[in-house]
Amino acid sequence: MALLALLVWPAERSSAQALTVDVVGEVLRIHAPGFSFLKGDPLTRLRDGRSVRVELAALVLPGPGKPAAAAARRVFALSYDLWEERFAVTVLDARSQSVSHLALAAVEAWCVEQLVVPLSAIGALGRDAPFWIRLEYNVLDGDAGSGSPDPGYTLQGLIDLLSRRRKTDSSSHALEAGPFRTPARGPASKR
Amino acid sequence: MGSLLAVGEGMRTLGLLLSLLVTGTQAATDQKAVVPEGTVIAVAAVTGFDIDRLSPGLREDIRNLAGTPLAQARLDALAERIEAERPRYVAAVRAVMDPDGQARVFFVVGRQEVPERDDNINARYIVEQADIRGVPDEELSQALRDDLDAMVGQRLDSGAADRLQQRIEQELPRYDVSRRMQRGSQVGRIKLVYEARKKELPQWLRFDSLRTNALFHSEQGWGSFLDLGIGNRTIRFTPMVAIDNADDLVEEYSGVGLRFETRQLGTRRLGASFEWSWFDQDWRPATLSALALTPDIPPAYDTRSTITPLLKFAVTPELSVAAGVSISELEPLIPATSSQMANAAVASVDFDRSWKDGSEPTHRVTASFGVRAGSRDLESDLAYTRYLGQGAYRFDAGRHHVEATGMAGGITGHAPLFERFTLGDSRTLRGWDKYDIAPAGADRVVHSSVEYRYTGIGLFLDVGSVWDAETERHVRVSTGVGFYAGPAFFVVGFPVNTDELRAIFTMGLRIPGVRIQW
Repeated sequence: MALLALLVWPAERSSAQALTVDVVGEVLRIHAPGFSFLKGDPLTRLRDGRSVRVELAALVLPGPGKPAAAAARRVFALSYDLWEERFAVTVLDARSQSVSHLALAAVEAWCVEQLVVPLSAIGALGRDAPFWIRLEYNVLDGDAGSGSPDPGYTLQGLIDLLSRRRKTDSSSHALEAGPFRTPARGPASKR
Repeated sequence: MGSLLAVGEGMRTLGLLLSLLVTGTQAATDQKAVVPEGTVIAVAAVTGFDIDRLSPGLREDIRNLAGTPLAQARLDALAERIEAERPRYVAAVRAVMDPDGQARVFFVVGRQEVPERDDNINARYIVEQADIRGVPDEELSQALRDDLDAMVGQRLDSGAADRLQQRIEQELPRYDVSRRMQRGSQVGRIKLVYEARKKELPQWLRFDSLRTNALFHSEQGWGSFLDLGIGNRTIRFTPMVAIDNADDLVEEYSGVGLRFETRQLGTRRLGASFEWSWFDQDWRPATLSALALTPDIPPAYDTRSTITPLLKFAVTPELSVAAGVSISELEPLIPATSSQMANAAVASVDFDRSWKDGSEPTHRVTASFGVRAGSRDLESDLAYTRYLGQGAYRFDAGRHHVEATGMAGGITGHAPLFERFTLGDSRTLRGWDKYDIAPAGADRVVHSSVEYRYTGIGLFLDVGSVWDAETERHVRVSTGVGFYAGPAFFVVGFPVNTDELRAIFTMGLRIPGVRIQW
């Protein structure tokens, strides 16, 4: 039973990374300076001069672990300038907003800040209702080949599975925080 | 930002792009006439592009169209999202009315002949050198060298670099190819390096399945079997430990074993294995009582030592045969009586094939037929012949999984207890206890099972019969539900054709293989 309990232990036990929200105009902006999604193989790809696409999603939840009431998703194309040793990023949508010459932490923070949730969508939760924010990312590109066709686990894989660690290049990762209340304007409050 | 900001150039698409856009516009027009808004969508699919290359969120949104009313704006928005995620592709929507009044929606995706933009900041730098490393020069065609040379002196074009990588992979199918860029000799110049690494040829023979588990059966208690594969792609040593394992045989056994396997003896068609094991048996009172009433069945034993050398030959990558002998010594339960030998010639045919439909659904078929013949010629005290045929089909499509299995077997002569068939464990006739059905096993068996799983929840139906040739055959049925999380499972089974309502549950961990690779 202890093993079973270990398996169902939530993946995101640590929420030490700060997550705050504020309101700009009619949208909710999210800030998560400690939320890192460029590491491991994707970061190696970037430093090899290749581009990496990452999907980021901000989900507004009525409670921890509950289905999302509203969401904002965007896909970013990131690359690393081999000569200037700085990162560049483009939002892959009709507007193709771009920025360059950013350090690693800054480019990650910039991507998160592009996730805006309309206040009208949050309003569906009810006036002054508390809500939680869940940030997720998914690395869409990966050079990991076909892998081993053999089923089963390596010892390290089994340890990773039982500790709920996942490969960094192919799976979703998340950060969840709350409760928040819709702030009037300006910096947000986490109760 | 150079090309990163070249939004103004974004509309210069040629060829397929134009034709697709025209098709898309036409489709939208046609659709209003042919497929009215609000028509229920029966299915939504992406053609011309592997849907798995889209983000999970977008894939889900496309699949979630099924069952919803058609809304052109929503379809257009999804097509835009495909183009946003895959800037070198264009997407158009096509809706078709089915005869039953439902709509089928297709997102037709095609690659632009001219890349719209390059999202890589390094696209502003000039390629001063383009190389392939890891391949002897004589294996490179002149055309490939020319294409590499053509990149030199140009600004980096990620699309062209991608296409060249695909060409290298096609020309050098025995290599894995990766790509990286490095600073050049001057500021503003870069080197493009393709690195090729020779692929290892796939092995035709398979190692024996590893089956580490720790199981609890509500009628049979705890038991565990641990095996650890240590080796590389060609050879493997597998130490084994069994602790009170009662899940697969009549006996409950504990002990140790070691198996050595090689999948290549000069050629990948030929392999061999050698297994030694020693197990100490515990017998349930029900088994001993049944044996007392049936003197025809060879007696229970205290320990069982077995060695099994086998030669294996792969006819094709999917089909293999194996042959060898199994030498078992059975130490008696009663002291001062002599041990028995159960020596058998063994042979088997195995088939294993997996294939994929399009981008997602996968199928796997496995089948085997084995014969074990105990013979006086092999100095065996027990003469018998045992046949067992098994087959399984598995279908996986996203969160949906279906598995159907079947087996049938028979024994003639006097087979030792470890060869006798049982049903009513964690895999067969779940909901029954094998010590109620056939406490000393039986010499005939038929069983089939079908299970449907949606993510971690499964429903199953098991049907089977295990009986002795001279006794009446009774078909038993069970059904139930299972919960699965990684290697952990919890299954509740109910016997169907019985006059008492009871549930049997099994739970534990089942790990298909734990390996240490060198």
